[in-house]
Amino acid sequence: MTAFSRRQRVGQRVINTIAGLGLFYIFLPILVIVLFSFNAPKGKYNIKWQGFTLDNWANPFSETELTSALWVSLRIALISTFCATVLGSLIALSLSRYKFKGSGGINLFLVLPLTSPEIVLGSSLATLFLNRGVNFGYVTIIIAHIMFQISFVAVTVRARIRGFDWTLEQAAMDLGATPARAFWKITFPLILPGILAAALLSFALSIDDFIITFFNAGSLVTFPLQIFGASRVKIPPQINVLATMLLIASVSLMVAGTVIGNRRQRKLAGN
Amino acid sequence: MAGKLNRRQFLIRSGVAGASALSLPALLAACGGDDGGSGGGGNSLFFENWPEYIDEETVALFAAASGVDFKYTDAYNDNNEYFAKVQPLLAKGKKIEPDIIAPTFWMAGRFVQLGWAQKLPVDKIPNMANLRDDLKGQPWDKAQEYNLPWQTGIAGIAYNMKATGRELKSVEDLFDPAFKGKIGMLTEMRDTMGLVLLGLGKNISQITTFDEAAAGFEKMEKAKNDGQIRAFTGNDYLDDLSAGNFAACVAWSGDVLQLAKDNPDVKFFIPEEGGTSWFDTMIWVKGSENGDAVAKWMDYVYDPVNAARITASVQYMSPVKGVQDELVKLGGEAAALAEDTLLFPDDATLARLQSWGALAEEEEAKFDEAFAAITGA
Amino acid sequence: MNPTTRLATVASQPERVGLGVMLALALGAVALGAKWVSGPGAAVVAALMLAAVIGLIWVAFVGGLETRRALAPYGLLKPGVLWLSLFFLAPLWSMVVMSLSSKQSRFDFFPSFSWEWDNYRTALTDFRPQFLRSFGYAAIATLLTILIGFPLAYVIAFRGGKYRNILLGLVVVPFFTSYLIRTLAWGNILADEGPVVSIFDNLGLTGVLESLNIMDNGKLLNTPAAVIGGLTYNFLPFMVLPIYVSLEKIDPRLVDAAMDLYSSASAAFRKIVVPLALPGIFAGSLLVFIPAAGDFVNAQFLGNPQTTMIGNSIQDQFLRQLNYPVASAMSFVLMFIITVAVLVYTKFMGTEDLA
Repeated sequence: MTAFSRRQRVGQRVINTIAGLGLFYIFLPILVIVLFSFNAPKGKYNIKWQGFTLDNWANPFSETELTSALWVSLRIALISTFCATVLGSLIALSLSRYKFKGSGGINLFLVLPLTSPEIVLGSSLATLFLNRGVNFGYVTIIIAHIMFQISFVAVTVRARIRGFDWTLEQAAMDLGATPARAFWKITFPLILPGILAAALLSFALSIDDFIITFFNAGSLVTFPLQIFGASRVKIPPQINVLATMLLIASVSLMVAGTVIGNRRQRKLAGN
Repeated sequence: MAGKLNRRQFLIRSGVAGASALSLPALLAACGGDDGGSGGGGNSLFFENWPEYIDEETVALFAAASGVDFKYTDAYNDNNEYFAKVQPLLAKGKKIEPDIIAPTFWMAGRFVQLGWAQKLPVDKIPNMANLRDDLKGQPWDKAQEYNLPWQTGIAGIAYNMKATGRELKSVEDLFDPAFKGKIGMLTEMRDTMGLVLLGLGKNISQITTFDEAAAGFEKMEKAKNDGQIRAFTGNDYLDDLSAGNFAACVAWSGDVLQLAKDNPDVKFFIPEEGGTSWFDTMIWVKGSENGDAVAKWMDYVYDPVNAARITASVQYMSPVKGVQDELVKLGGEAAALAEDTLLFPDDATLARLQSWGALAEEEEAKFDEAFAAITGA
Repeated sequence: MNPTTRLATVASQPERVGLGVMLALALGAVALGAKWVSGPGAAVVAALMLAAVIGLIWVAFVGGLETRRALAPYGLLKPGVLWLSLFFLAPLWSMVVMSLSSKQSRFDFFPSFSWEWDNYRTALTDFRPQFLRSFGYAAIATLLTILIGFPLAYVIAFRGGKYRNILLGLVVVPFFTSYLIRTLAWGNILADEGPVVSIFDNLGLTGVLESLNIMDNGKLLNTPAAVIGGLTYNFLPFMVLPIYVSLEKIDPRLVDAAMDLYSSASAAFRKIVVPLALPGIFAGSLLVFIPAAGDFVNAQFLGNPQTTMIGNSIQDQFLRQLNYPVASAMSFVLMFIITVAVLVYTKFMGTEDLA
């Protein structure tokens, strides 16, 4: 017994250590990014540690082109996320609510954009736009983002509502509710957290997309494209400040989403 | 007449692309007879330039002095990438947003040859007389009516004394096995290959075919396979150089001047075999109708007083005559720049510089292809 | 049969109508997007699509509740499926056409279709090293994500207790920072005078690592190891999450029972935990391997001229050399190889687990 448990304990310690190192590995670059947002670089590059300053945080928007690129990205992400969430959720609803001919094929079709490398999605869409003589810019980027977000939203929402009890809706209708009312009053509130979570994640995908956008942006500069351009010329610490801000914003959104979702679920369960 | 030919080319291209692609203003401009030269148009101006290539003061001062609604951005990161971005529009006769861009000379030549640049309203740019004589009359713009240089510079070698442990003086030093994996090269083909070819004793201004340059590419291919070259970079070589990742690299003069101020270990030199000179040059993009504002801007920056202010900030060689005197008048650090031999090279230095001539379309394709293979892409 | 009764018969099979109209519309969208038809033909296709929609509405209108119920799933699918047909399928077709086109001259921006198989020869011979490196690096990175991701997921699932969600959040949160900035940060960390190299130097590990081909001439940045490390890092969460999902389902009592049976923790681990985690590992492998094989950012920021991947080449050919045909041929080959791999995978695992 003791021999086993000692070996067991050693094994456990090893696996715990690997997991701890894994977490450290995950956080190392993040620490560097946050740390260097307080750097006071002497030259164009924010690479070597030169000295502590709060200036960058006091003037996070002083790099005007960086800031305007961030706004461009936010605007694109808002529009594309809204459209993709609606379209993707409809697909998810259809796939989990109904049994119908061809659902297997649709499942496979939905997975395809997720299993295609971004560079293929980006270059092929750019080829289509070139052939059609479409001007690259806001519209082409939004179209591209919605394209890869739809599958993502559909798959995520479907996974979230897989165990949903559809007889609830039927029960409401038996009690005299119209189908529409039954959906909006019963089903929708219950699947909403799943939809919001998917929207949040696909928003993050849009904000951070580089490869597909690179092919379809034309002269429009999004935040990742601005960073890519800057990486060849100069890297102001404001990049790190804005990245840290984005990180904080998305984490708080995520936390808020979970808290609200949990509270809702508890309330609904209480009723 | 070049103007007529351009217009015909333009109409043929437009016809191929389909009449629907042709915007009404472009059509009117094309039928208007006089191809450029007259200026005219709105009072707004958009100049898309390379990053870190102007002082912010000048942008504001010009807008205030001229009353032009002036927009200045620095999204021009790479000649080839920029060309790829705008070609779908320009090839179809549509216009792009910027009125002025500042491609490197060979790319400017391509724009002119494709008919994508307009004749400058030369009459309205009296200060054009201040253009340095050695930059006048490029083979692709003999009458000097399509381009006006923005800044000029030298491609040479920069090194970090701490990493090399010795002074360098020759192109051959880049291929010293002692620096294996510590050498940086530029993604700009002409700058990198220019130095390598000079190192082999070639006269790059005379090179017109790929075969004449093949030896240089072989040398690079071998260096790459030996792991001599660490990376191909854009301006970010500065960061690798000061971080110690590069012992030595092909570099541009102005950048290194700025870096050396912070880091005295970093040095720049023109190799004993010679260096290349280049210039980035303003062109007026086809389709833009803001000729008056274009003229006002070009005239403004060719005033030596304004040009000196830009030089003091970006520290490249100015294409404008009289800048040296103006720098002295500015006093302080700016006056010190007037003494700098890299900004104002003496005749002996100038004699060691060469620049690339024009390459025909198909030959240039061979160069680019071979160079892409060396950069690994 | 007069037309009305025929229509009535069709309307009595609403499932077929729904599926048929959806497929027809998708096909129409691809035809319009990929320019199978143009000019008057395009107008005809568009009119047919409109007619199909109107017919569908009519069927739904005359049919009863049951008909509408049968049509509903297709109605919900339609907008999304049409979008994907137009902006995912049609582009793939355009890409195939482009990959068989040729340019008249260097600055011919509208290559014309000419069965130019030579593009594929170029893609497969000139760019063979890049293809091999892409799949090689992606495979190694996938293995590494399993080695790092599995213990992480295991500890979170079995030892996390009430902190499970927080721990899971910690794994995901860093990936809300920009992908490019994270990769650039690795450039800082691995630089010659950076922290990692100096730690290795002080520990005297440099020689060992060099003999293992991880370090090269005292440097870590701009080596294959740095590129693979970057890929591993950037796609790690795609491995941790699926493994966690499959481990989460395991009842800890099952492991306890197994330990009684095999009377050894490692045997229980091998025979119970690993097999149950396999679906997660397989799903994770695809989610890591596919984007890693097509990536060019890590190779660009962390690599050297001899570590470029196929993504770098496609990007260069497309966005710098303006050689759309060869770039498209390379994209197609990449897509083809990956699709075959995915199909083999789905054959064994089913698509459901990809979520």
